[in-house]
Amino acid sequence: MGGSAVISRPELTPEEVDPRVDLGGIALRNPVLTASGTFGYGTEFGPFLDLRRIGGFVAKSLTLEPRFGNPPPRIAEAPSAMLNAISLENVGVDAFVREKLPALPEGVTVVASLFETEIDRYAEAAKRLSGAPRVAGLEVNASCPHVKSGGIEFGQDPAVLAQLIRAVRRATSAPLLVKLSPNVTHIAEMARVCEGEGADGLSLINAVQALEVDVERRRPVLANILGGLSGPAIRPIALRMVWQASRAVEIPICGIGGITSAEDAVKFLLCGASAVQVGTANYLDPGVAGDVADGLRAYAARHGFPRVQDLVGQLETGGR
Amino acid sequence: MAEPGASPAAGGEASRGMPLRVDAEVVAAECEGGANHRLRLAVPGWRGFLPGQFVMLSPGALAAVPRTDPLLPRPMAIYRAPGDRGEIEILFKRHGRGTALLAAARVGQKVGLVGPLGRGFPTADPGERAVLVAGGTGIASIYELGVRIRAAGGAVQVLLGARGVDDLMGEADFVSAGLPLRIATEDGSRGERGLVTDLLEQELRGDAATRVYACGPTPMMRRAAEIARGSGAPCLVSLENPMACGFGVCLGCAAPLREGGFALVCRDGPVFDAERIEWAGLP
Repeated sequence: MGGSAVISRPELTPEEVDPRVDLGGIALRNPVLTASGTFGYGTEFGPFLDLRRIGGFVAKSLTLEPRFGNPPPRIAEAPSAMLNAISLENVGVDAFVREKLPALPEGVTVVASLFETEIDRYAEAAKRLSGAPRVAGLEVNASCPHVKSGGIEFGQDPAVLAQLIRAVRRATSAPLLVKLSPNVTHIAEMARVCEGEGADGLSLINAVQALEVDVERRRPVLANILGGLSGPAIRPIALRMVWQASRAVEIPICGIGGITSAEDAVKFLLCGASAVQVGTANYLDPGVAGDVADGLRAYAARHGFPRVQDLVGQLETGGR
Repeated sequence: MAEPGASPAAGGEASRGMPLRVDAEVVAAECEGGANHRLRLAVPGWRGFLPGQFVMLSPGALAAVPRTDPLLPRPMAIYRAPGDRGEIEILFKRHGRGTALLAAARVGQKVGLVGPLGRGFPTADPGERAVLVAGGTGIASIYELGVRIRAAGGAVQVLLGARGVDDLMGEADFVSAGLPLRIATEDGSRGERGLVTDLLEQELRGDAATRVYACGPTPMMRRAAEIARGSGAPCLVSLENPMACGFGVCLGCAAPLREGGFALVCRDGPVFDAERIEWAGLP
């Protein structure tokens, strides 16, 4: 067999390509967002990147009350990756609405990320955030330990995840994304649970639970012992999970995991993601998300796709 | 108690100048003996810096550097900006993969640069008396500070420490700048045998009117802070915590505060009043 023919399309100019996307009711000017926890509250990037070049950003995860993080060391490096155990330090929902949102330039799309340790507090945070001006949608961070179920992550137990999304869905009519943990056996099952409870979209993956060791001191590198692994090392894991989730649900998926370039973003779209989030790469190069957005459009043009969305799910898996 | 994620108070001179995100070009690269290296970088759009500020350096052009091993850029103190023509000097030690790649950079190579970052040292009081104490790579943070305090009419004594003569950085520069210099090495191969903080103890001798500026390994800075406190002298330290971003978003460089909570070394520092730091909680 000669293999499947890739359809040859006439090349376009980037300006001829429509980059827009609707992510579960969030209208984005292009499919490139930045990931929660890697982009502060947006204003930190002012010197490096015009936030209107990207689709939008997901702000640092918020709790009802301000919260301090873990003692240092909080970060460590690993090949093509880093570990972090910040423990979701944040200014709290009210300070975010009062101080951080008004400090952003007009025309920037903001998705508010939230987390809590109990379901009714998640719902309360969702209610307060969805009433705030400038918040285009919510992202539920389901990778936090649930106090009442003995500290297991909300996103690791389908029944607990269902309860959580049901409660948050009742609390808000805003576009609702759920950020899934990769630390599960069956990602498709978690995706179906969220869709069934009324989520408008899924973001995946969050960091992969990990441990790094200092052999000289015979101690964990992180004070917290465990941390979340992020960066290019986790990209193939993320691609696999996005591909599996996208075949399980109809709601759009925002792909996350080790994206450092437009080519990386294309991979996620081909595997079924409608949009992507750039995460750890923002630390390495605070302007990279803008370059990924421009490069994605250029890729679509070069390959003759009139809309960036035409790339979604175009991974050819048959006829080798 | 510091508010979690709070912004620093409006910082006078320290908040001046927006950081750049550019590819700088290596215009000089020298090995200065041992593991010590000096890079001179031409930085497009460079508008100056404050002593104590730093840059994040990637070993290659931002769009082209392989983000593999190491993944992260490296924070580097801005040593000085010779000639005021958009060039900066970085003085560093090769001790891991990141610094080895920077040490291997050749003239003409591009180096990704984000900075200047951080708040730097506060402006010196006119005519102030200062002791600058630095060890290891901390030496790179205080050269320009010494030059500027003296230019403002202050009296400066510099104390440099290293394990041995091979670890000592920048000695000739301090000498040619005419900054009064004393050196301590642990093996006695240069200057006096012992710790640089021993020299600080001799210099201060209970003098509360001299300001102490310290940069180096955590135990050195902690000891310098103790000696200053014992003399009733004010002490500023420049911390060197590992960090991923350098501009306040990774939250990796948190330093515990005595008042409770954390400060970010990159955003709220790297320079702090030594009395604010909870030394026992620093790694």
